[in-house]
Amino acid sequence: MTIVKTNHQFLASGVVGLLVGNENSSNEDRYVERLLDRISNGKLPDDRRNAIAELQGVVLENEAFQLAFGAMGFPIMLSVLKEERDDVEMVRGALETLVSALTPINHAKGSSNEVQPALMNTDLLSREADCISLLLSLLEEDDFYVRYYTLQILTALLTNSPQRLQEAILTIPRGITRLMDMLMDREVIRNEALLLLTHLTREAEEIQKIVVFEGAFEKIFSIIREEGNSDGGVVVQDCLELLNNLLRSNASNQVLLRETVGLDSLVLILKLRGSSFTFNQQKTINLLSALETIKLLLKGGSESDPGKDMNKQANKTTLVQKKVLEHLLILGVESQWVPVAIRCAAMQCIGDLIVGDSKNRNLLAGKVLGEEPQVEPALNSILRILLRTSNMQEFIAADYILKSFCEKNADGQSMLASTLIPQPYSTNHAFLEEDVSMSFGSMLLQGLTLGENGDLEISCRAASVLSHILKDHLQCKEKVLQIDIEAAPMQSLGAPEPLMHRMVKYLAIASSMKSQVGKFSTSENSYVQAIILKLLITWLADCPSAVQCFLDARPHLTYLLELVSNLSETVCIRGFAAVVLGECVIYNKSTESGKDAFAIVDAISQKIGLSSYFLKFDEMQKSSIFVSVKSSLTYQSFTRSSTSSMVDIEDVDDNDLSEKKNLDHPILSSILDSNFVNLVKSLEADIREQIVEVFSRPKMKVAVVPAELEQRSGESDAEYIKRLKSFVEKQCSEIQDLVLRNATLAEDLAKTGSTLQPEQKGSGGSDRIQIETLRRDLQEASQRLEKLKEERAKVESEAIHYRNLAGKTEADLRSLSDAYNSLEQANLQLENEVKALKREGHSTFPDVEAIKSEAREEAQKESEAELNDLLVCLGQEQSKVDKLSARLLELGEDVDKLLEGIGDEAGAAGDEDDEDDE
Amino acid sequence: MSYDYLFKYIIIGDTGVGKSCLLLQFTDKRFQPVHDLTIGVEFGARMVTIDSRPIKLQIWDTAGQESFRSITRSYYRGAAGALLVYDITRRDTFNHLASWLEDARQHANPNMSIMLIGNKCDLSHRRAVSKEEGEQFAKENGLLFLEASARTAQNVEEAFIRTAAKILQNIQEGVFDVSNESSGIKVGYGRSQGQSGGRDGTVSARGGCCS
Repeated sequence: MTIVKTNHQFLASGVVGLLVGNENSSNEDRYVERLLDRISNGKLPDDRRNAIAELQGVVLENEAFQLAFGAMGFPIMLSVLKEERDDVEMVRGALETLVSALTPINHAKGSSNEVQPALMNTDLLSREADCISLLLSLLEEDDFYVRYYTLQILTALLTNSPQRLQEAILTIPRGITRLMDMLMDREVIRNEALLLLTHLTREAEEIQKIVVFEGAFEKIFSIIREEGNSDGGVVVQDCLELLNNLLRSNASNQVLLRETVGLDSLVLILKLRGSSFTFNQQKTINLLSALETIKLLLKGGSESDPGKDMNKQANKTTLVQKKVLEHLLILGVESQWVPVAIRCAAMQCIGDLIVGDSKNRNLLAGKVLGEEPQVEPALNSILRILLRTSNMQEFIAADYILKSFCEKNADGQSMLASTLIPQPYSTNHAFLEEDVSMSFGSMLLQGLTLGENGDLEISCRAASVLSHILKDHLQCKEKVLQIDIEAAPMQSLGAPEPLMHRMVKYLAIASSMKSQVGKFSTSENSYVQAIILKLLITWLADCPSAVQCFLDARPHLTYLLELVSNLSETVCIRGFAAVVLGECVIYNKSTESGKDAFAIVDAISQKIGLSSYFLKFDEMQKSSIFVSVKSSLTYQSFTRSSTSSMVDIEDVDDNDLSEKKNLDHPILSSILDSNFVNLVKSLEADIREQIVEVFSRPKMKVAVVPAELEQRSGESDAEYIKRLKSFVEKQCSEIQDLVLRNATLAEDLAKTGSTLQPEQKGSGGSDRIQIETLRRDLQEASQRLEKLKEERAKVESEAIHYRNLAGKTEADLRSLSDAYNSLEQANLQLENEVKALKREGHSTFPDVEAIKSEAREEAQKESEAELNDLLVCLGQEQSKVDKLSARLLELGEDVDKLLEGIGDEAGAAGDEDDEDDE
Repeated sequence: MSYDYLFKYIIIGDTGVGKSCLLLQFTDKRFQPVHDLTIGVEFGARMVTIDSRPIKLQIWDTAGQESFRSITRSYYRGAAGALLVYDITRRDTFNHLASWLEDARQHANPNMSIMLIGNKCDLSHRRAVSKEEGEQFAKENGLLFLEASARTAQNVEEAFIRTAAKILQNIQEGVFDVSNESSGIKVGYGRSQGQSGGRDGTVSARGGCCS
C-alpha cells in the first residue's frame, strides 16, 4: 500500500507538470483549482453547490479538465462525500463529478498512445485511502441518484483496476452484502449492480462464495424468470454472465446451486417456447450463455479441484434427470431454425454430457428424433449433420459427440460397426437425402466413398468418424478390414478393393491435388490428409492384420516413404506419415520377405535415413498443433464483447485462415485431441525402441545356442559337419546383411554429421540424443559382428579339426587296404600252393581235391566278409571325404593340394572296389 | 428437496479445533484424521427433521486462521446459526472464545443462535479445559453448549440439530423476520405454505408488515 501512495504522488505531479508545460491546459488547471477552492472553502452552501455543478459540467466534456481535476480534485470530493452527507444535492453533485471524471470522452481520434484521462483518474481514485468503504456506505443512502452514481463509480473502478477493488471489498465487512442488496433495488439500480457484481466476481473465488452465500442464485434466477428467460433482454445475459462467473471454477458453488436452488430454472432457460422460430441476436446470446452454464457444470469446477470429478458426475446426473438432453437435442440437432452458433454449443454440451458416462451414452443411443413416420435415431441425425454441414464448427461439434460416444465404449463401437454394410453402387446417387431408413453404417460408408466423385471433404469427415469407431477396438478394426468397396461402374477395370486401400487412395489424391493447385489450398487439404492419416494411425495401432492389409499393396509403402520426406507437406503430415510407417514396423507380424518389419526398417533407413526419420517426430512434437493441444485448457469467458463475436461463428472459418497458408489447418487442433496426441507420443516411443531393437537384435535366421554347436549324441560326423556347414552359411549371409545395414547406418551418421553443423544451434538436444541412439545402434551392431566373427573362427578351427580327423581316417583306410592286399597275396600263394600240391599228389591224395575246395571256400568266405566290411567303411569314408572337401573348398582351402598325397591311395581303393564288384 | 425452512449456519473458531471435521462428520458421516487447512470458506449441506418438519441446513465452514478473518466476517450477517468451536485439549482456543464472540456480535444478526462446542472430547486424557468451564462460559454469554467429538461422532448430530431447534423456536416465538434474507432463514416454497400455514401464520404476517 505504501508503494501505491508514492505512485499516486508521482503520477499527480507528473500530470501537473505536463499541464504546466502547456499554456492552454494551465489555464484549465487554474480554472479547476479555483472551483475546487470554492468547493472546499466556500461558506455559502449554494455557492459550493454551484461550483460543483460547474465543475461537473466542464469535466464531463473536456479531457483537459478531466486531467486537471484528476490531479487535484479527488481528496476534496471525497471529503465532501464524508462531511456533507446530509446535503443530498451536494453529495449527488460530487458523485456526478466523479462519474464524469471517470467516463472516457469519445473522440474519433482513437490513438491509443495518448494518455487517457478517464483511465488515469480511475487509477488515481482507486488509490485513495478508504475510498471504497466510503462508496459502499453511500449505497445505504435513500436517494436513488446517490446509489446509482455510486454504483457507476464502483463499476468504473472495477473495470480498470479489478484486483485492487476486489481486495478492498473483501476487507470491508458486509461490503458485498450491501452490493447484493442492490439486486433487490429498483430496476435501474439492479441492472447496474448486476454489472458491478459481474466484474467483481471474475476470478475472485472468495467473493464468488460470499455472493452465493448472500443468495445470489435465487436472485439471479428470479430476475431471469421475470425478464422472460431466453426471450429476455440484455439483463438476462448479464444475469447469466454473473451466474457463469460464480460457477466457472468454483465446485463448491456448483454443489450449492445443485443442492439448494436446483437446476430446473437453468434447464428451463434452454426450453424453446411455442412457435418462436425467430432468433434475434439477444436471444442467441442468452441461449449461448445458458449453454455455457451447462458446459461449466459439466466440467465440474477448476482443474485443480480434487472434488471436481465427483461434482461433475453429480451435476451430470441431475441435469439428465431434468431432461437436459432432450432440450440440447432440440437446440443442437433437431430444430432447423436455431442459429449455427447455438447448434454447435448445444452439441458440445451433448458431447460433454456423454463423455465417459455409459449411462448417458446409452440414453443418447436410444433417442429418436422426428415425428412418425420420419423418425430416426439421434446418432444418425448427428452423423448426417456431420457429413452435410457447410460449417466447419458444426462438423467439429458433431464429431465431438460421436467421438465421446465411441470413447471407451466397446459395445457402442461394435454396434455402429455392425451396420457398416456396403450398399450396391446404384444407391449412392441419392446420397444423404432425407432417407431416415438408412442405417448409420451405410450412411458412413457412402460418405467414406464419396471421394470417388472428388468430394474428399466428406470422405475425410467420414474417416474421422470411422477412426472413432475403430479406436482401441480390435474386432471392429478386423471387421472393417473385411469391407471391400465396389469400384465405380465407369471404372470398369477395378475389382473391389479393401476400404482401407480406398482411404489410402484418397490420401494420395489429396496430396496430389495440393501439388497441382500449388500452395493456395494447402490448409484445406492438409486437414483432409491429416484426418485420413489419423484414421490409418488409429487403425494400424495394435492390429497386425491392418498392417498386413496396408502393406498388401506395394505402392503404399513407397507412397508413404515419399510423403514422409516430402518437404512441401506440413510438419504434421510428415510426422503422421512417419508414425504410420513406424506402426508398420512395430505391429508387423509378417514373415513374408519384403513386407516384414526388417524390410520396412531397411526401407526407412535407405530411403529416408534413420536420423531424418526420427527428426520428423521431433518436428511434429514442436509443431503448433501439438503445443496448442497441450495448452487448450485455458478458458474463454463470455463477456458482453466476446459473445457478440461468438454469434458470428459462421464467418469465422473462412476469413483469417486463408492467410496462414503454410500452417496446419486450425480444425486440426479440434480434431487432434489430447487422446490422439498421447497415442502418437506413446507410439513414437515404441517406434524408436522397436527400430533400435531391429538393429541391435537382427532377426536370427539361425539361433545361436552354444549347445547346438556340439556334436549331438548319435549324430554321425558327416551329419554334424553338414549341420555346421549350413550354420556357417546362414551366419555368413547374416553377416552380409549386417554389414549392409551397418554401411547404411554409417552413411546416415556421416550425413547427419555433416548436416548437423549448421543446425546444431537450434535443435542440438534432440539430435544429440538421436545420434546417441544411432551410435548405440552402431555399437551394438558392431559388437554383434565381432561376436559373429569369433563364432566363425571357432567354426573354422573346428573344421580344421575335422579335416585332421578325416586325414586320420584316410590313413586307417590305407592300412586296411594294405591288409587286404596282403590277404589277397596270401590267398594267391595258397592257391598256387594248392595247385602245386594238386599236381604233386593227384593220385596219392584223392580227397585232396575236396579238402582244397573246402579250404578255398573257407578262405573265400572269410575274405568276402572282410571285403564287405571294408566296402561299407569305404563308402562312408568316401562320402565324408567328398563333403569335407567341398566344404573346405568353400572355406577357401585348396582341396586338390590337400588331397594330393591321399588322392592316389583313394583312387587305388576305388579301383579295388571295382575289381571286387566283378 | 422440498423443505419448510432453510437455515444458514457458520462454523467459527480457532484454526485446528476441528471445524471442518465436524462438518464432514455431519454431512458425510465420516472422519478424516488428516484434514487440509481450510482456505477461505467451504460449503456443506444436509437435510434434518425437527418436530417432523424437514429443514435444510446450509453450512459454511470458515478458515480459522487470522489472515482469513476479513473474508469470514462477510458470512456472519447472513447466518441464522453459528457453531463456535474450541478444542478441549488446547487452552488457548478456549481463551480466544471471547474475541470470536465479539466478532460475531459485531457483524452478525443479533438473533443468531450460537452453539458453543468443546470438540475432541474423545481425548479426555489430554483435557485442558473442564466441561464446567465450558458450561460456565456458555451460560454467561447466552450460548447453547455441548462437548462433542468429530472423531467418534459423539454429539455432532445433536449440536447441529439443537441449534436448528433453537432457531425454529425463535421463529415460532416471532423473534425472526423470516422474509428478510439477511436473517439466514428462508421459508421453503411449495409444501410449506399449505401444510404449515397454521403454525406459521403469525410469523408470515409479521414478516409481511416489516418488509
